[in-house]
This record gives sequence, C-alpha cells and structure tokens, in this order.
Amino acid sequence: MNRNYIFLTILMLVLAIGTLFLTGNDEPTQIAPEELLQEIIQPTRYITTDQVAKMIIQGDPSLLMVDVRPAAEYEEFALPGSLNIPLEQLLNDGNLAYFGVPGIRVVFISNDDIRADQTWVLTKRLGIDGTYVMKGGLNSWMQTIIDPSQPNADAPSVDHQLYAFRKGAQIYFTGAESAAPDGENVEVQVRRREKTNVAAGGC
Amino acid sequence: MISDKTNIEKPKYINPYLGGVLLGLLILATIYITGRGLGASGAIKSAVVTTSNTVAPKATEANHYMGQFLSDDHSPMYTWLVFESLGVLIGGLLSGIIFGRVKKWRTDHGPRITIKKRLILAVIGGALFGLGSQFGRGCTSGAALSGTATFALGGVIVMFAIFGTGYAVAYFFRKFWI
Amino acid sequence: MGPLIPNGVIGGGWDFVIAILLGVAFGFILEASGFSSSRNLAGVFYGYNFVVLRVFFTALIVAMVGLLYFDYVGWLNLSQIFILPTFLTPMIVGGIIMGVGFVIGGFCPGTSFTGIAIGKLDALFFTIGLYLGIFGFSLAYPLFENFFTSGDLGNVTLMEITGIPAPYFAVAFTVVALAAFWGTMFIEKRVRKNMKQYKF
Repeated sequence: MNRNYIFLTILMLVLAIGTLFLTGNDEPTQIAPEELLQEIIQPTRYITTDQVAKMIIQGDPSLLMVDVRPAAEYEEFALPGSLNIPLEQLLNDGNLAYFGVPGIRVVFISNDDIRADQTWVLTKRLGIDGTYVMKGGLNSWMQTIIDPSQPNADAPSVDHQLYAFRKGAQIYFTGAESAAPDGENVEVQVRRREKTNVAAGGC
Repeated sequence: MISDKTNIEKPKYINPYLGGVLLGLLILATIYITGRGLGASGAIKSAVVTTSNTVAPKATEANHYMGQFLSDDHSPMYTWLVFESLGVLIGGLLSGIIFGRVKKWRTDHGPRITIKKRLILAVIGGALFGLGSQFGRGCTSGAALSGTATFALGGVIVMFAIFGTGYAVAYFFRKFWI
Repeated sequence: MGPLIPNGVIGGGWDFVIAILLGVAFGFILEASGFSSSRNLAGVFYGYNFVVLRVFFTALIVAMVGLLYFDYVGWLNLSQIFILPTFLTPMIVGGIIMGVGFVIGGFCPGTSFTGIAIGKLDALFFTIGLYLGIFGFSLAYPLFENFFTSGDLGNVTLMEITGIPAPYFAVAFTVVALAAFWGTMFIEKRVRKNMKQYKF
C-alpha cells in the first residue's frame, strides 16, 4: 500500500511541477507574426467596389459593411446598409462581436483603403477571420460606381460588360438616393456573434 | 468491541485518494462544461427565497437580500444549483445503496453526548454554517474547493478561514466528538 | 473551446440535465468517500479521521493542476471561467462562522445532503439549521448590508493579487497537500490507537 502511495506522490509532484514548464500562451487569440505577414502580403483581403455593389444589389445576407471613418464623415455620406464603427472605437465594448461570425463577410470601408486596411490588420492580429477591405475605398466607389467612365470603343468586351454593370449600379444607387436620401434610414440588420459569457456562479 | 476494531481497520468506503482524484476530475469536468464549479448552499438559499416568496411575497420582494434572487420569469428554485443539489441527493442515495449504507433514520454522535443533544448541535451548526456561507459567498464546496481550484483569492481566504477556525476551536467542542 | 455552455457549444436547454448529472457524480463521490457521516468529517479536527483532508486536498490539487493543463492544451480558456468574487472582511468572518459551524454541526452543506440520502437524522437537522441560518441572514440583512459588501476586490485571482504565475501556486499547494497526506497518516495511526469506540 505504501509503495503505491509513494508512486502516486511522485506522479502528482511531477505533474504539478510540469505545469511550471508549460510555455505560457497568455495571448492565445493573437496569431503569430509570420502568419500575419503571410496574410498581409496576399491581396486576397481586397474586395472590389464592383463586388460590393453586386452584393448590395443582390441583397447578399452574408455581407456586413463596416464603415471605419469617424462618425461625422459617416453621417455625411455612407453606403446604404453600412454600419459605422470608427477605427478609434474598434476595440470598445461589444464592437468586436460583429466580427468573426461564421458565414458573414465583413468589409471595411474608408475614404481610401488605408484606414480600412489598418482595421483589417488589427482584426487579423486578434485572430478574426472573414474580414475584407474594399479596394480603393469610397473614392474608388465614386469613380467606379457613382461616376463610371466609359471605356474606349476598342477596349475588350469585358470592360464594356463591366461598364454596363456599373451604369446599372449607378442608377440603382443614385436612383435609390433620390427616393430615400442617402440611405440614412436604412435599418442596419446585423448578426452579432453569440456573446462569450463569463459564467456566473455561486454556492 | 472487537467488531468496532475491525470497522476501523476495514471501512466500507472507497480509498480517500481515489475519491479525491475523482472529485478533482469532476470539478474539472464541471468547469469544462459549465465554466463554474460545484456548490451546495446556494440550493438552500433558493429554497429559503422560494418559501419566503410563497408565504409573504411582498416582504420577500422588499427584502434587499432575497429580492435580488427573485425573477418574474421563473421560480427561484429554477437555478443550476438546485438541480445540482437534487443530483447530490440522488448520487448519495445511489452510493448508499451500492455500499449498503441506506437504513432507517439514525444519528451519528460522539460517545459522550446524547442523540437529542447531537441533533440540537446539528441545527446550531447548520445555522452558523448557513449564516457564514452567505458572508463567504459559498460553502466548502462552492467557495473553498471550487474557488481555490480556480485560483480565486476569495476561495483561498474562505478555505483557510474555515479550516483554521475549525482547528482553533476544535478543542472547546471536543466533548461532542471524542 | 470550453467552457462548453457559456460558449454555446451545448445549448442552454441541457443546462439542468447536466446539473443533475454532475450533482449525481458529486453526491456519489462524497458518499462513497464517507462524507455522509458527521463523525468521519469531524475527525479531521481531532486527528482520528483525515478523510476530509485527503479527499478535499487531492481534489483541489488534481483540479488545479488539471486546469493548467486544460488551459495549455486549449480546451479551456481560464479567462472565461467563473472566478469567485473576493470580499475581504466578510469572507474572513464568514469563513470563521462556517469553521465554528463545521465543528459544532459536523457537516457542511454538500455533505449533509448525502447524509440525508442515506438516512442520517443529524444531517437532516443540519440542513434545517442551514435553512434557518440563511433565512435569519436574509431577515437581518439590512443590519449588515454595508458590511456584507465591504472589502470588495472584484473577481480577483491569486495571480492578479500577487503577480506570481498560476503554476507556482499549483506546485505550492501540491507540495503542501502531499506533505500533509504523509504527515496525517502517522497522526491518524497514533490517535486511533487510543480510541476506544469509533464506528463508521
């Protein structure tokens, strides 16, 4: 009997002391710098204005547009259905719950794509998947969707198809604008991630 | 006397270290599944709030302590700990049946006190424990065991306070037990 | 991944089923270890039966060390589990009251339930006492409402208050517990030699 207890004592000691050598993963939700670099150098995070326009027109339920500009700029003009989370408030309570919902593509929008890109890097560092950047931002949106330029007559047919789509989108967005000014009253319907509750307890 | 001796030598209980390991694993499982530890006194608290609410709903609601456990949606009995404690009763019965310890009502008492005195002491001890468990935010299982296992400062404080006091005052109550 | 229910891996509807199942296991282990007898429990304070100390501290170190491994493997996120809030003075006072209640009553709440299950009258009376104590507390609550919420340190852990990483605490508790197991083995032998009457 005593011999068994000696074994058990040693086993428990070894197990306990073993915990001292567990490499601390204090920041388990952050991804490694190498991975982050891999992601940054790949252009797959960009989504073009045309793709965004198409998704809005089709009413794609998986699209969540997040406008990362300051609230004042958002008030002035914003894409219909976009949600305003200024970059400064990204880490504020509850805002992160919008990201990382399975099946939802979050597209960051700013005037150019720098601010949106910064937001994207932040979310990547937090280990959140499914976030994208609208290439060229709202400036590009203006040039391509709201005021598309006609391609030359000898341009490839793809360009003409694209132009035709953009023209249609232009009517969709500007026409919608005159009906409901600036899409201001558009109800933003978003799914939030289930809150990861800290369990309550008590004896 | 001889039979008593053999009882000391061969109790019909499982090895305490085996029990401890199982209990430790159970706490791990509980935390893994529910995110919190085990408890017991909370169930009695729910019972107190429930009966009080049935007898005098207005006064219960006005009571600052009990009032916070009332909810419009469901009875105060509808809590995790009540169901868990129900399980404790079933589990205890199960083990009692398996090891042949379920018998008609009987009382454990020290050799120097009567059954009546033991029962009075049990009520007093229970009342003190109930009172203390509210201040301590839990009893031995909820605060001391589950709390300390999760490295909570409060759990360690309660654990040392309970056992420290127990040893400190044990001498004065020795007549009750030995 | 874990904890499962707070993270929504297991739906809320299963909550109470799981509660009962975990309770059954809890009750079974307590009863099978001998916690349904007040004489066994009180023995820890008089040196004739250290079953409480053995079960309690074995469970404690197994759970502590296990939690650290669970966290390391990624099964559990330690930041998501419930940490008992700390109210410094009320907890010390509460612990002292519970300590006295333990020696007088010979049970603690969880163990008294298992005692009732197998037909111990003193366990039943202890539970009645528990009920009265908590009821009395509720009635008298206005008197010490301020004291009850004083010394609030929030849901702090040992690590936060001392700055020492968790594994050191786990090792410290393990070493102390193992030493206590060996020490009490000899104490128990000596005390039991002098005991005339003791039934389990």
